[in-house]
Amino acid sequence: MKLNRFRKGVGYAVIIFSSLIMILPFLTTLFNSLKTYAQYTAFPPKWFPSPIQWSNYSEVWKLGAFEQYTINSVIVTVLSVCGALISCSMVAFAFARLRFPFKNTLFMIVLGTMMIPPVVLIIPQFVIFKSLYMLDTLTPLWIIEWLAQPFGIFLMRQAFLMIPKDYEESAKLDGCNPFQIYWKIFLPMCKPTFATLAVFTFMTKWNEILSPAIFLTSKENFTLPIGILSMAGQWSGNEQYMVAAALMSLIPILLVFLFAEKYFVQGTNSSGIK
Amino acid sequence: MKSQYKKWGALLLAITLLSALLISGCSTKGKGGGDVELKLGFYSSAQSDEKMQELIAKFQEKHPNIKIKTESSPYNQFFQKLDTQIAAESAPDVWLSDGVLVPKYAERGVLKDLTEWIQRDLKADDYYGLEFNKDAAGKYWGVPQGIQIAVLYYNKDMFDEAQIEYPTEAWNWDDLKAAAEKLTKDANGKYAIDPSFDKNKISQYGLTFFSITEGWMTVLKSYGGGVLNETLDQSIIDSPENKAALDWIVDGMQRELLPTPSDLKSFQSNMAPFPSKAAAMRIGIYARTIDANAAGLNYDVTLLPKGPEGKRFSPVIANSWVINKKAEGAVGEAAWEWVKFWATEDEVQKEWASLGEAVPVKKSVANSEQFLSGSPANKQAFLDSFEFAGTLDVNAVWSEWVGKFNDSINRAFEGEVSVEQAMKQADQEVQKVLDEFYKK
Repeated sequence: MKLNRFRKGVGYAVIIFSSLIMILPFLTTLFNSLKTYAQYTAFPPKWFPSPIQWSNYSEVWKLGAFEQYTINSVIVTVLSVCGALISCSMVAFAFARLRFPFKNTLFMIVLGTMMIPPVVLIIPQFVIFKSLYMLDTLTPLWIIEWLAQPFGIFLMRQAFLMIPKDYEESAKLDGCNPFQIYWKIFLPMCKPTFATLAVFTFMTKWNEILSPAIFLTSKENFTLPIGILSMAGQWSGNEQYMVAAALMSLIPILLVFLFAEKYFVQGTNSSGIK
Repeated sequence: MKSQYKKWGALLLAITLLSALLISGCSTKGKGGGDVELKLGFYSSAQSDEKMQELIAKFQEKHPNIKIKTESSPYNQFFQKLDTQIAAESAPDVWLSDGVLVPKYAERGVLKDLTEWIQRDLKADDYYGLEFNKDAAGKYWGVPQGIQIAVLYYNKDMFDEAQIEYPTEAWNWDDLKAAAEKLTKDANGKYAIDPSFDKNKISQYGLTFFSITEGWMTVLKSYGGGVLNETLDQSIIDSPENKAALDWIVDGMQRELLPTPSDLKSFQSNMAPFPSKAAAMRIGIYARTIDANAAGLNYDVTLLPKGPEGKRFSPVIANSWVINKKAEGAVGEAAWEWVKFWATEDEVQKEWASLGEAVPVKKSVANSEQFLSGSPANKQAFLDSFEFAGTLDVNAVWSEWVGKFNDSINRAFEGEVSVEQAMKQADQEVQKVLDEFYKK
C-alpha cells in the first residue's frame, strides 16, 4: 500500500517535471509576446514583461489584413483536410483490400515519393499550376491534398490492414460491393486514424510556408504564416509583434486538438470479432 | 435515411469542389487596348508595404496607361520564389533586388542591361551609388532603390559611464580597441583594463561584431586587404594585410572585447547586442537606426575608423530595381518609367526616406533637412562615408563564397585554429567556389 503510494508520487513528480519542461518554451513565447522591443532584446534576457504590453496584440491587427489571412488559412485547411481524408482513405482501401496487377510495386512507388523533398517538387508544381492558371489563387494549396498524399495513404492502409477479414466477408455475403464495404464498414471502424490524419493534415497545412510563399503573390491571398512573416522586413524585425501573431495563430490548432482528443484516447478499434 | 443524406452530402461537396476548380481555372486576365500590364515584384515589411502601395497609386495617376500588378512577399520567401519564377520563366518585369544579389541575376543572363537608359535619363552626379551596380565591364544592371552604408555607432551613456571621450573621425582601429578595453565590462562591473576582470562573464561588450558587413569585411578593407581581386574572380585572401586585420579581430575576440560568433548566440538575434545595451559600439548600416531608435538609446554615429595606413572603408549594400531581360518593347519601357519615377521624383524619394530604412538615392533629398534631422544627430556621417564606400566584393556567387569564408574564419574567431590556418582554408574554399562558376 505504502509502496504503491510512493510509486504514484514518483510518477507524478516525473510527469510534472517533464510537463514543466515542455511548457517552458510556450511560456517564454507568451511572455515575449507581451514585451516592448527594448525588453524583448534585453541582455541578459528578462523573464517577465514589465510593464505588460497588451498593445502588441492590437498592433498585429493594424499591421496586416489578419482577418483575410485567417479566412484564407481556414479555407485552405478545411478543404485540405476533407481532401486528404477522402482521397487517402480511398487509395488506401484499394491498396489494403482490392486485388489488381502490380499492387505492391505501385505501393512501393507511392512510398518512394515520400523520400522526395518538397523543395525539389516545387518548380514542376509551379509550372503545372501556372499552365492551369491557378497561380495566386488558393486552389493549388488544397487541390494537392485531393490527389492523395503518400503519408496519408500509408497511415490509412495500415489501419485498414488491422481490420479482420471476417468483417469484409460477412459484408460481402450480405451483398455489399467494395465501395459499400469501404464506406459502411471500414470508414466507421477507423475513426481514430481518421482523426490522426485530420489533425496531421490540419497542422501541416495551417503552418505551411513553402507552397503559399511560392504560389501566392497578392496580399489578399496570403495565408497566416506568410502574413506573419511579412510583418518583418529586410532590416526591421518587429519580432515581438510576430511572436504575438504566431501565438494567436496557434488557437485553432489547440481547438482542433481538444476536439480530436477523445478519438486519440479511444485508441484502435475495439474489435467485435471473437 | 441517414446514409442517404450522407451520400448526397458527399456528392454536393464533390460538385462544389469541381466547380470551384473550374472557376479558378477559367479566370484569365483580360487586356485593355493600348494598356501595358507591368508586373512589379518587391519584398516588404508591413510598414513599408503600405508606403509602397501609396507610391504605386501615385505612379498610376501619372501613367494611366500602365497597369501595375504587384507581387510582394516576405524578404526570404521573395528570393526563394523569384528563383522558382525564373526557372519557370514567369519572373516579374521589374523587381526589387537585394544589392548583394544583383550580380547573381545579371551574370546568369536574367537582367536587362540598363547602361544606355541610365546614361540617357539619369545624371550620374545627382545620385548616390549608381556605380554600385556597375560590373567589371562597365555595364549597369540596376538603379538603387535605397542605400545602406555603414558607420560607427556608439552608445553615449556607456561612454559617459566609463568616463571616456566619444569616438572621433580621427580614430583608427587601435584607438577603437583601446576604448573597447575601457568599455567591456564583466558581471561584477569590472572593466577589461582591470586585472580582476573576468572574461567568462561579460555583461557588456566594447564593440559588437557580426559576419561580413558589420564585421570582418569592413576591417579587412580598411587594412588594405579584401577577399576578391578587381575582376572578382580570384581570391586574394592570403595576404599580409588580411593577416594583420584578422589578428586585430581575433585578439579582440580572445579578450572578449568583441563577441565571438558563439557569444552572439545568447542574444535574441545577431543584431541585438547594440540596441539591447549590451555593446557600447557597433559597425552599423543605416537601417540599424530603426532598432536603436526603437530601443530609445542615447547614441550617435561617426565615421568608421581608419586602417594602419590611413585608409578608410565603408561597406555598402544598394538594394536596387532591376528589369527582367524578357520585358521587351512597351513593357520594358514601362518598367523603366517605374525605375525613373522612383529615382528622379523628389516626392517619392522623400516619402520612402520617411520610413527611415535607407539613405535616399537622390543627393538633393539625402542632403535635405528632412533627412538629416532626427536621431542620430550626426546623420551627415552616412553621407560623408560615400567618399570611401565600396561594395562587399559582390559577384555572381557571393552568398556561396561568403558562406565558405565564414565557415573557415569563424574557427579562428572561436580560437579553434590559428589565423594562418583559417586564411589558407578560406582561400582554398573560396577559390573553389569561384572556379566552379567562372572557370569554364
